[in-house]
Amino acid sequence: MAEQVGGPAPQGEQRGTGARGAPSTWKRLLRYTLTRLVALFITVVIGVYLTILIANMGGYVDEIRRSQIREQIAVKFQNDPAFRALPPEERQKRIDAEVAVEEKRLGLDKPFLVRSFNYLKHALTLDLGRSENMTSDSGSRQVRLIILERLPATLVLFGTSQIVLFAIALYIALYLSRHYGSWLDRFFVALSPLSSAPGWFYGIFLILIFAAWLKWLPFGGMVSVPPPESPVRYALDVAYHMILPIMALTLSSIFISVYGWRTFFLIFSSEDYVEMARAKGVHPRAIERRYILRPTLPTIITSFALGVIGVWMGAPIFETIFNWPGLGRVLFHAVQLFDTPVIVGSNVIFAYLLALTVFLLDIIYAIVDPRVTVGGGRQS
Amino acid sequence: MWRNRKLWLVFALVAMLALALAACGQEQAPATEAPATEAPMTEEAQPTEAPQPTEEAKPTEEPKPAHTGAWVDEVTFITETDSQAAVTRLQEGLIDVYAFTIGNPDLYKTAKEDPNIKVVEFFGVYNELTINPYGVEAEDGVVTERDGTKVKPEFDNGAMNPFADPKVREAMNWLVDRNYIAQEIMGGLATPKYLPITSAFPDYARYIDTVREVEAKYAYNFEKAKEVITAEMEAMGAEMGEDGIWTYNGQPVTIIILIRVEDERKEIGDYVANQLEELGFKVERRYGTFSDLGAYWIRGNPADGEWHIYTGGWITTAVSRDQGGNFEFFYTPRGLGIALWQAYRNSPDFDTAAEKLANNDFADMAERDELFRTALSLANEEAVRIWLVDQKSFSVVRSDIHVAYDLAGGISGAVLWPYTLRVGDEPGGSVTWVNADILSDVWNPVAGSDAIYDMQAIRATGDWGVVSDPYTGLAWPQRIEKAEVFAVKGTPITKTLDWVSLEFVDEIQVPDDAWVDWDAEAQKFITAGEKGEPMTARVKSVVYYPEDLYDKVTWHDGSPFDVADIVMSLIMTFDRGKEASAIFDESYQPDFESFLSVFKGVRIVSEQPLVIEYYTDSFQLDAELNVSTLWPQYGYGEGAWHTVALGVLAEQNQELAFSADKADALEIEWMNFVAGPSLEILAKYLDQAMADNYIPYANTMSAYVTEDEAKARWENLKAWYDAKGHFWVGTGPFYLDGVFPLEKTVVLKRYEAYPDPSDKWLGFGEPKLATVSIEGPARVSTSAGEAVFDVYVTFQDAPYPADEISGVKYLLFDSQGTVVASGSADLVEDGHYQVTLSGDVLGQLGVGANRLEVAVTSIRVSVPALESIEFLSIP
Repeated sequence: MAEQVGGPAPQGEQRGTGARGAPSTWKRLLRYTLTRLVALFITVVIGVYLTILIANMGGYVDEIRRSQIREQIAVKFQNDPAFRALPPEERQKRIDAEVAVEEKRLGLDKPFLVRSFNYLKHALTLDLGRSENMTSDSGSRQVRLIILERLPATLVLFGTSQIVLFAIALYIALYLSRHYGSWLDRFFVALSPLSSAPGWFYGIFLILIFAAWLKWLPFGGMVSVPPPESPVRYALDVAYHMILPIMALTLSSIFISVYGWRTFFLIFSSEDYVEMARAKGVHPRAIERRYILRPTLPTIITSFALGVIGVWMGAPIFETIFNWPGLGRVLFHAVQLFDTPVIVGSNVIFAYLLALTVFLLDIIYAIVDPRVTVGGGRQS
Repeated sequence: MWRNRKLWLVFALVAMLALALAACGQEQAPATEAPATEAPMTEEAQPTEAPQPTEEAKPTEEPKPAHTGAWVDEVTFITETDSQAAVTRLQEGLIDVYAFTIGNPDLYKTAKEDPNIKVVEFFGVYNELTINPYGVEAEDGVVTERDGTKVKPEFDNGAMNPFADPKVREAMNWLVDRNYIAQEIMGGLATPKYLPITSAFPDYARYIDTVREVEAKYAYNFEKAKEVITAEMEAMGAEMGEDGIWTYNGQPVTIIILIRVEDERKEIGDYVANQLEELGFKVERRYGTFSDLGAYWIRGNPADGEWHIYTGGWITTAVSRDQGGNFEFFYTPRGLGIALWQAYRNSPDFDTAAEKLANNDFADMAERDELFRTALSLANEEAVRIWLVDQKSFSVVRSDIHVAYDLAGGISGAVLWPYTLRVGDEPGGSVTWVNADILSDVWNPVAGSDAIYDMQAIRATGDWGVVSDPYTGLAWPQRIEKAEVFAVKGTPITKTLDWVSLEFVDEIQVPDDAWVDWDAEAQKFITAGEKGEPMTARVKSVVYYPEDLYDKVTWHDGSPFDVADIVMSLIMTFDRGKEASAIFDESYQPDFESFLSVFKGVRIVSEQPLVIEYYTDSFQLDAELNVSTLWPQYGYGEGAWHTVALGVLAEQNQELAFSADKADALEIEWMNFVAGPSLEILAKYLDQAMADNYIPYANTMSAYVTEDEAKARWENLKAWYDAKGHFWVGTGPFYLDGVFPLEKTVVLKRYEAYPDPSDKWLGFGEPKLATVSIEGPARVSTSAGEAVFDVYVTFQDAPYPADEISGVKYLLFDSQGTVVASGSADLVEDGHYQVTLSGDVLGQLGVGANRLEVAVTSIRVSVPALESIEFLSIP
């Protein structure tokens, strides 16, 4: 873990150890980096293996799959007049043969424990492999494509909304921290409980108002039918279809985000060194930038980074309400089908992204916040 | 000002992300240009025969050419998973067809009340209670099972299973009020069901008299159920405790019900549990999904006593004209090779009837009738299932949309929808068609997607030798002219329609030059003569195609249809199942072996006009369904020889595979003719085929394809791919114009070169459901000479033609609900029949209220029309 060393005030000038300390610093940095990477990797391994176990209900899914296979094949044959003309023992033989083929295809001829470690090995090496039942939108069984084909749509909606929300929330929060107790401040505080409802909840109302009643905006989907041929018109059409979902996402989070950030800034605004700066007559904008924003930067960056990688998982119900082709629905569908490779594939990427983000944040903290060092020890 | 810059930065980021997505989306979207059909790319393109104006004809009177093919110009498929949202969008006029199967009573009411919405109703989903009948076999068992075996009413763990007693199982029929389930739980979207046959299918109408007797016998009667079950429980050694709970060996008798929670089966399970509690059973309700509960009843051992009752549900997606196999499937150990089925013990009479019906092992329809009636009468005594309701599902369309729908599969399951879909009464217009999904899996005709959501669109792009009547399940000729069916004497086949002839013969010899097998190494068919052993078949069909077949029918890329397309489909049937083949597919083998076990031979008698003989040991009860029309429909779509050949090349080189199983085994892509990574590979082989002027299976196919024809086909396909960006080529009334995978959108456009007039299937726009009314005396003296009741049968207020009526049967129930008489009504004139009750029959009625029930069956629709009238009998 990055070590936060409390200090009375941000002293950017204290950063750096100088040329004399370089060899030991590099060694320390390297040791820290390696230790950190190993720890994160072990965390990823444990997380991914737990995902495999959960996705397969500890192997119980095998039983479910076997039941489904046998029933589906038996019913399929039952509806085949040619099959019904066969003697009973021959019919059973045929059913057993097809069941065996399907079980082999799904790997059910091997013990779950063996398969679980195979899943783990493939996942950790990012060999996402093939899905068991699902296909990508373009019909591929490669987990990579199943995920990648949905990624742009997910990023454009949730990424945009995340950026919009983040920027607006920060901006308003800063404003409110400067105008503590104003009517606008009270307004946001009063409305913050609205964020207890999820985005899809607001989505339903927004669809009813703006699509069904006013007919200003589309009910859902990502583009019009059929999709426009010109890239520019296509982009405008996507933007038009994004208005309602972004409104819903923003509405569901803006008040609590503003409330949270505003409170956070208020706490920092009352620190001694800020009061000292005010007393010295430093310009309010400079106080905001140097004495409030700067020390809160690690938290802001962490929040933003985790928010952005959280986009990876999508939002199944929200995407369903807006008929948006995002990753959330893919993952939800995979869970319904017990499609382990897709579940594991999606989660392992998230795990790596999370680990990488945490690792990079450690370094970024050290860059943006002079109170933080990596590898332990106090800087002098 | 920096604040403004920040805002601009935000907007710029949004715009950039939107553009990035646009770029990604456009990559997948194929270029859409003018349809190929507007300028056919065939080497032998037939000019449109525009009518020549005569000298006398004024310009304004110039006759228009008859509109051919589809009525509408364009159908766009999109998705919507929320039925409520779809109905709202339909009300707003934003979509035209919502083909998804809906079962929500509230939405049904909403749709019915909206004049802008038309509701189409269909059947096929049905519910039952699956009973665990296991009992420990023991010589001193107090229960006698249906096969005579003595059993103890216990599981292996000693817990009581009352349902080991067949009489308790039978009494469950009286315990459940099916009308309550249909009306209250299913909100009226269901009809009571007492037997393992569907009330909308032909066998129900065929045996309506027996069916109605059974239905009357097992009508809801709680007191009777209580009486029977109490007596049986006491006989099995159970005791009713002071707390009103049954005990067995000192333990409370607990019934475990597995209750599915995904649909109305949750309420049904709770209702049944309540009824059992009323009888003094302790009930444990285990709720769960299919996945949760499947392991108990499918995989579990019934002897373990983990459950007693499971709330089951089944679906049939097409009208089945022969449900004789249902008795064996649902009731006997032969039905399914899993443990539960092996616990079934049947009475010898039922077992024999079920087996013979399943194997069509009867000499004629009279014998089948007898077997069927036996099975119907005994099914509820076997009672390993308690049938509850036939669900009525529905889909919705805008009120000005006309479209044929299947009585079992709805709109999306109807083969005839592409030929009948129209907006208003004029040709033209476009339709937005919505379902829960589209492009669910890959499209390839050999072993691609079989998802109903994909097949609804795929069907529109292909054509058929015969098409299935959506209302009766019979076959009508589409691309063939006529057919002859020959069957060995004693084969129970009947004929209904005139386009087919039926003849019974002593023996059917397979001719020496008929193809009976395939040599995958030599790539040649093996003839019966080469096999060297005389072969016979049980059924032979001879199919005559029209003389102008090759002139009229063209593939969407402009290539004329050819007998080679049929030969290629035959080759594919064999080659994928042969281990020596480069496209051998292990997963196809069970199907292939089933096919081989009944296939006896095929012979192309003549190429022009095309005449093909087909020999088989398999048969169905209707002559129309025994016509084996060879047409390049591969099961998952129609395929021209040249498009399928590209797939063969790709599979031979292990770059793509037709089937998902083989693709998984080789870890390659599952072949997709319309999108994804497959396109690039198929395009590579298209270039190779063009360069080599490739003819697949040349040892056989070169007899049917010349070098020039092959060259023209490859050029046509190249032009098609360049224009459309996919390889999906059919001969149907619509061609695939655009595929948008991420957007889940498919665009079909009307194929202008389609040869048939648009009104060819107009008569199938809606099912010809009869309306019946009965008029007769309100009081009848039991001593009167006779009583006459008039029966009026109409369709849309016009008399129903007598030649389309297959039967008007009546049943007379007395005041006790007992059937006193049954028979057929007499025809007076079209739409008018009479039931005459003789003095003898009237004499059998006691004093009280009686009911005369009339069931009308039609050859145009498999759903019988039922009506009844009550009258008083007085001395």
